[in-house]
Amino acid sequence: MSEYLLEVQNLCKKFPIKGGIFGREVGAVRAVNDVSFKIKKGETLGLVGESGCGKTTLGRSILRLIEPTSGSVIFNGQNIVDFDSNQMREMRRKMQIIFQDPYASLNPRMTVGGILSEPMDIHKLCMDKSERRKRLLQLLDQVQLPQDALNKYPHEFSGGQRQRICIARALAVEPEFIVCDEPVSALDVSVQAQVVNLLMDLQKDLGLTYLFIAHDLKVVEYISSRVAVMYLGNMVEVAESSELYGGARHPYTKALFSAIPKPDPTLKKERILLEGDIPSPMNPPSGCHFHPRCWNATDECRQKYPEVKAESGTHEYRCFNPIQLQE
Amino acid sequence: MAEKILDVKDLVVEFNTDRGKVTAVNGVNLEVFKGKTLGLVGESGSGKSVTALSIMRLIPTPPGNIAAGEIKFRDKNLLDIPLDHMREIRGNKVAMIFQEPMTSLNPVFTVGNQIEEVLELHQKELSPAQRKEKAIEMLRLVGIPSPEQRVEEYPHQLSGGMRQRVMIAMSLACEPDLLIADEPTTALDVTIQAQILELMKKLQTELGMGIIMITHDLGVVAETCDDVAVMYCGQIVETADVETLFKHPQHPYTKGLIESIPSFDSTTGAKKDRLPTIEGMVPSLFELPEGCNFQGRCAYASEKCKGSGGEPKLESIGNEHLVRCFHPLA
Repeated sequence: MSEYLLEVQNLCKKFPIKGGIFGREVGAVRAVNDVSFKIKKGETLGLVGESGCGKTTLGRSILRLIEPTSGSVIFNGQNIVDFDSNQMREMRRKMQIIFQDPYASLNPRMTVGGILSEPMDIHKLCMDKSERRKRLLQLLDQVQLPQDALNKYPHEFSGGQRQRICIARALAVEPEFIVCDEPVSALDVSVQAQVVNLLMDLQKDLGLTYLFIAHDLKVVEYISSRVAVMYLGNMVEVAESSELYGGARHPYTKALFSAIPKPDPTLKKERILLEGDIPSPMNPPSGCHFHPRCWNATDECRQKYPEVKAESGTHEYRCFNPIQLQE
Repeated sequence: MAEKILDVKDLVVEFNTDRGKVTAVNGVNLEVFKGKTLGLVGESGSGKSVTALSIMRLIPTPPGNIAAGEIKFRDKNLLDIPLDHMREIRGNKVAMIFQEPMTSLNPVFTVGNQIEEVLELHQKELSPAQRKEKAIEMLRLVGIPSPEQRVEEYPHQLSGGMRQRVMIAMSLACEPDLLIADEPTTALDVTIQAQILELMKKLQTELGMGIIMITHDLGVVAETCDDVAVMYCGQIVETADVETLFKHPQHPYTKGLIESIPSFDSTTGAKKDRLPTIEGMVPSLFELPEGCNFQGRCAYASEKCKGSGGEPKLESIGNEHLVRCFHPLA
């Protein structure tokens, strides 16, 4: 078995666009386009990008909540894209997801106990009554919620506590891998820090592997060991998180990081202002998708699609004219 | 010192609810100067937006009610003037940008129409043709490419960043003296946020308006504001100029907020194991504790904070730095 828990190879997802009176397919949105990456066991890979860049679609295609169009997802040495629904259900015990909006992802008519029991019922875990209760209390303890939460309903909790319930639900089936899809975006700053700490503690205690999707670069940089940057369905750069901030090679990564407002009024700002908006993924620009907004673009960028270049083993990027690092 | 354009004194706003009366804003004082930006920071429910809506007199009454205080805009108390007179000021002298550019534009009118509506109300001397011209000019001012064409488009044809630019164009059409921006960039991506903040700064230098920037993002505050007021449970807990506030926060809550932002400095050395957090959560406005509102989450809380000393007052510690705390940090 390899050291990688998850390997994604050339994953693509196209959403057809239907048009005309007969609803024929007139085009396709390439939400995820030829994305490959690997995640080691116990590691956190951060995934950043602006809205519409395909982060969420990628996260969901890995779990096959959205069927990928092509490519493979190899989990624990098995390609799960070929699995039938029974095998897949078995597999989902190992892979869980935490959604962005803790207000929308909990059933308001179920008690917390019911919410946490449901995944265990599906996977036939802890079917003995006293054993089940013990497990439920253990879960609440893991996410630092009081024991009397079991009989309460989601509306009785604040946003941060609801996100803890979502985390407990994901943990109920003892997964190895969790896709965290913007788990802290909807929370206030002080609560956000609490949830980030909780996720990191759980990772340490239970040996979890995370794919951490967020648009908040500060949080991603903090929690992840490696960070991948997406733009218009493509992964444009992957590197160690410590390397990416100072040593971004792709102009988009550099611009993205420089756009974050820094909480220090005395800092001199070297801001790269990107012109324009993200182009529509229905009709991406030719060549490198970033070239209309890039200040380094050449004719080559306008015509050809850049291949992945690798550097020092772990740093990969797709760019013809990468930013030169100053030593 | 620059000209003072807004002076809010001891503002109290209450809401009658099924569970009784809540005081959403409790004795807030604010000052805004010409050409300067005041940041209003706090978590959800701290009363930032209610303060802003009170200044615009847009608090729904009932259930809301401005119970006390005065809002002095130049030399007029906005709370004394009749509502139809307020309509002449609102959108004209005092304008507001809302958080959601997706929902605050009318989907069935073109963006040009919506900008012209502002002009129709406040600049009656303009002919329809002049209004349209002005609308195009405003769109150009906020950096929308090919404004002649965009003016005929509907909100759904524009991206989020573009819609926020239209909102800014609308609010600036009458060249207001005061602009209230309620989380203007929260719904936008960082690269677009950078564009919008830059645009607002540029327009401020050109038009010389005062801005109240409401946000929960301390990064945005550090980059755009001159003065900052931090709100917690409907009260201002600390106010200072932006450099002092970030360098020497005196209130434990302010310090906690600043520290709980993951910082990039961690990349240079070893990463901090845990983010510093503020334990617990914001108390419900129905169950505010005795004494200091922050005591339940504060590491420095003493008996005095827990009620024996009464409610802490917002006191000056010099240099226009005010803090509401019995044990301000050194």
